[in-house]
Amino acid sequence: MNVAEKKARVIEPDSLIGKRIPKMDAPEKASGRTRYIHDINLSGQLYGKILRSARIHALIKSIDVSAARALPGVHVVITAADIPDQRPIGVAKDHFPLKVGRVRSQRDEIAAVAAESEEIAEAALKLIKVEYEDLPVISNPEDAIKPGAALIHPEPHGADGSHLHLKQGMSIAHKGKPDNIAMRFDYVHGDVVQGEAESDVVVEDTFKLHYVTHCCMGVSGMIAEFDASGNVLMYSNTQVPFLHKREFAEYLNIDPARIRIIQPPIGGGFGSKLDIYPFEVICLYLARAAKRPVKMLFTREEEFLASPTRQPVLLTLRSGCKKDGTLTFRQVHTLHDNGAYTSWGATTPFVMMQTFSSLYRVPHCDYHTAAVYTNNPYAGSFRGYGNLQATFAIEQHMDMLAEKIGMDPLEFRLKNAQDAGEVTGQGMSFKSCGFKDCITTAAKRSDYARKARENAANRDKPGNIKRGIGMASMLHVGGGAKIYPSDGCGTILKMDDFANVTLITGASEIGQGSETVLSQLVCEELGLPISAVTVVNNDTAITPWDVGVHASRTTFIAGNSAIGAAKKAKSKILAVAAKKYGTAEDELDLRGGFVIQAASGEVVVELSKLLRNLHFQDKAELVMTTFYYEPPSVHQDKGFKGDVSAAYAWGSQVVEVEVDTDTGIVRMTKVTGAHDVGRVLNRLGIEGQIEGGVVMGQGYALTEDLLIQNGVMKNPNFRDYKLVTAPEIPEMDIAFIESMDGEGPQGAKGVGEAPSICIAAATANAIANATGVRMFELPFTPEKVYRALHGQTPKLYWKPWKAE
Amino acid sequence: MTELKHYFAPTSLDQAVECLKDGDVTILAGGTDLTPQSQAGRVKIKHTLMNIRHIPQLTGITLEGREIHIGALATITEIMEHPLVRQHLPVLVEACDHFASDQIRNAGTIGGNICNASPAGDTLIPLLVLDASVELASMPEAKLYRHTMPLSTFFVGPGKTRKSLCELVTGVRIPLPEQGHVARFFKLGTRPALDISTISIGVAGTLRDGVLSNARVAFGAVAPTPTRAAQTEQALEGQRLDAATIEKVAAIARDEVKPIDDVRATAWYRKEMIHNITKRILSHVAQA
Repeated sequence: MNVAEKKARVIEPDSLIGKRIPKMDAPEKASGRTRYIHDINLSGQLYGKILRSARIHALIKSIDVSAARALPGVHVVITAADIPDQRPIGVAKDHFPLKVGRVRSQRDEIAAVAAESEEIAEAALKLIKVEYEDLPVISNPEDAIKPGAALIHPEPHGADGSHLHLKQGMSIAHKGKPDNIAMRFDYVHGDVVQGEAESDVVVEDTFKLHYVTHCCMGVSGMIAEFDASGNVLMYSNTQVPFLHKREFAEYLNIDPARIRIIQPPIGGGFGSKLDIYPFEVICLYLARAAKRPVKMLFTREEEFLASPTRQPVLLTLRSGCKKDGTLTFRQVHTLHDNGAYTSWGATTPFVMMQTFSSLYRVPHCDYHTAAVYTNNPYAGSFRGYGNLQATFAIEQHMDMLAEKIGMDPLEFRLKNAQDAGEVTGQGMSFKSCGFKDCITTAAKRSDYARKARENAANRDKPGNIKRGIGMASMLHVGGGAKIYPSDGCGTILKMDDFANVTLITGASEIGQGSETVLSQLVCEELGLPISAVTVVNNDTAITPWDVGVHASRTTFIAGNSAIGAAKKAKSKILAVAAKKYGTAEDELDLRGGFVIQAASGEVVVELSKLLRNLHFQDKAELVMTTFYYEPPSVHQDKGFKGDVSAAYAWGSQVVEVEVDTDTGIVRMTKVTGAHDVGRVLNRLGIEGQIEGGVVMGQGYALTEDLLIQNGVMKNPNFRDYKLVTAPEIPEMDIAFIESMDGEGPQGAKGVGEAPSICIAAATANAIANATGVRMFELPFTPEKVYRALHGQTPKLYWKPWKAE
Repeated sequence: MTELKHYFAPTSLDQAVECLKDGDVTILAGGTDLTPQSQAGRVKIKHTLMNIRHIPQLTGITLEGREIHIGALATITEIMEHPLVRQHLPVLVEACDHFASDQIRNAGTIGGNICNASPAGDTLIPLLVLDASVELASMPEAKLYRHTMPLSTFFVGPGKTRKSLCELVTGVRIPLPEQGHVARFFKLGTRPALDISTISIGVAGTLRDGVLSNARVAFGAVAPTPTRAAQTEQALEGQRLDAATIEKVAAIARDEVKPIDDVRATAWYRKEMIHNITKRILSHVAQA
């Protein structure tokens, strides 16, 4: 042994944070090897299909399933009559999976079949005879709130026509409702009367937000199986497995412990899989009755017809400011078209009121929503959760107010934008806040001020192409949202004899890249390469509890949880090493797969060797840790006030368009975004997240439009429901503002929903900049824009409605 | 559901038209329309499904005398890339370039696009203004019988043509454009790819010394069939394309079409677009 060899090896410091790390599931997905629910087949499996209503609103007079039951290959045919223990589902418990006596929308489930093939199941559906008695269709929420309007969920009457006096506490599905109001939200801070009195300028407009839907590339599906002991195994695409485990148990009237949910790789969620839908419960009924596994997969048409939509909203906003540019008040009334049943769409006011109350400093705010039953499709949760709708109105008014007082719109925004340390009227506390940086960065990188000025000057020059630029900003939860009793996530971490890590997390992967980010955070603590990690995240029998993938929370909450477990593992390893090598724990660190001297980087021992020594000794031990992270946020009080998130994300986006005045076609040419994300963890992942969100926002602004006429969906297909395609995607320039959130994992904040929120609002402002015409109704399809440019659009006005 | 009992993949034209004799046959070529339509239940697959893709007589793009012959099985991609088409019929290339997506263009055939007879069919408008004829084959007796029909008389309604159940479209014939021929196509939709036209317009004619003769104008998605616009053509014939003429012709075009409201647009917007785009195209032609 010579002297040179004796010299200790030194490991240079390195970090995974901010690097461009390919998603761990990308090779499988890109090569077509990922096994989605479509690819999973259990032996003995039957195929389930649902008969949906042929009417929009009708009484079911009779259902004859005898011919369907007699078809060879059919195992089970069920209707509501076959499931006496059906329990109502949904956010307001206002419908049964299989409809009882009445259908209220096009999607309504009347009967279901389990058969040996999809073809036989389809053929059996055609043999089911249903007699209906039509009822008047209410397709407009404004009609639904008129006095004397027909009721969607009428209270049941006795045979003699008398009111049945039903027990308090019964669900809407049982006891009905005396009106069509599904939910009400009323919020106030300050005094808008005073706010208006202090205003020099007031604007009021009505905005109309349309139906769009998620269009997940992987259609909805489920496989349900009951074992011989009555335990349930479900392969489900849910985003919230632990909440649904409890809920499914309620619908099946069994102990939640008997339900196990496995999530196959999910082909897109975006919020659509946050609620339980009738098909899932029906699939369980079929499996229970057939005593065989039952697989149910939607067709694309069914995916359109029977999936939730984004919440359509009619909204009247009144806002004011002083001559010096200080915002004075916002008063908001919205009418939410709830559809026939209640899902999460009805609760979008939780997010909308945060934006109205707290995006910019608003001294006085008054907010009211009525979600109203109609015979239309029902809305669920969708990336942004009401924030696209609220921001669309607010950010147009920001431009309009600035114009009225003759102030530069950028200056006007900066004057009212918050700084770190401020607490809003709704009680949201901005511990980290890069709002102003977002505005100035997006404006500077896009050359907003110069272009806005030039475009406005060029508006009346000859030529059919008009250029426009518009800005909008957003505020969204970025550190979870305390809605359920816990907003936490659990992690189990184990290390093997070769210093590989298995990260068992409650957080589901739905394509957003959580596996990769969580692995990165763990490796950063343990000084290991990403390749050392295996993630287990899809089985309620294995993974610890998590509230689910929603509210842009996974990186923040599950990230902190994973870091917690990794820190415990690290501290155990360092304690063992310190003892073994006779040094202090705080003089050691983990780096590059080694235990090193923290100060010099000199190798003390290879980590895998240390772990083997720990394992194969008299007092054998393994490194296995657990951690549960609960964010330091609070529930809202009865007035919807409180600091519900541990951190808040900010973003500003500038959209540039070309408007063809001959055709009304709006081409989105460039999007410049600046996002306060706390800190960039996986640069490649976050760029993808933002780019995807921008395109989703672009579809919402320009092309996507689920057409509902008299309760009937007119375009349940990709031919006429127009997603954005590759050639239309604009150039993007994305900048990140790193405000280093004190509570965030490595300083990061959630950003999942943020990038789609501003696009429609910024596009409206860009069209106004290009043409001088304000558009208050989405989407900006060529015909709608052309009509507006040619004075063919009557001014939209909805008189604020507030039931006493 | 389907009544499908037989699948037949003939390797010659004689076999194919003989099979068509009993009339209870669904013809499969590219399948890009048939597959979604049959799955959605809009088209019922008949007793026999005949796959015509193995018939050599239906392929190829050739110059035959003063005509370009395009076999029914030529895919949209083949047409778009073929040197003869690129040299003589650039307006058809332009339409093919706006046809659906790469994947569909690789599978979809011109014979299929013609027989599908969509009022919005992308190749139909340029073919109409190029005076194309449809070539049909049948076997009334024991012998192959072939004839042609002007494309302008071929369509009778959405999805309906004058082709009888016993006939097979074998190709299209397009006269070689003469000196000074100009042709333009414009497809208006909400997005540049994978879109069904809101309206489409084709204009062609011979431009000599600023005067347009042999004027041809065709409109898509404004009537039950892709259609030639007789009044607009008449208003254009022999005219010098100055601003006043262009405005007059565009107004006549707007009044001539009788579109409907549907999920893609209202009749009002379609008429406006016929006016604006006709004007735009004629201004381009005037500068040619």
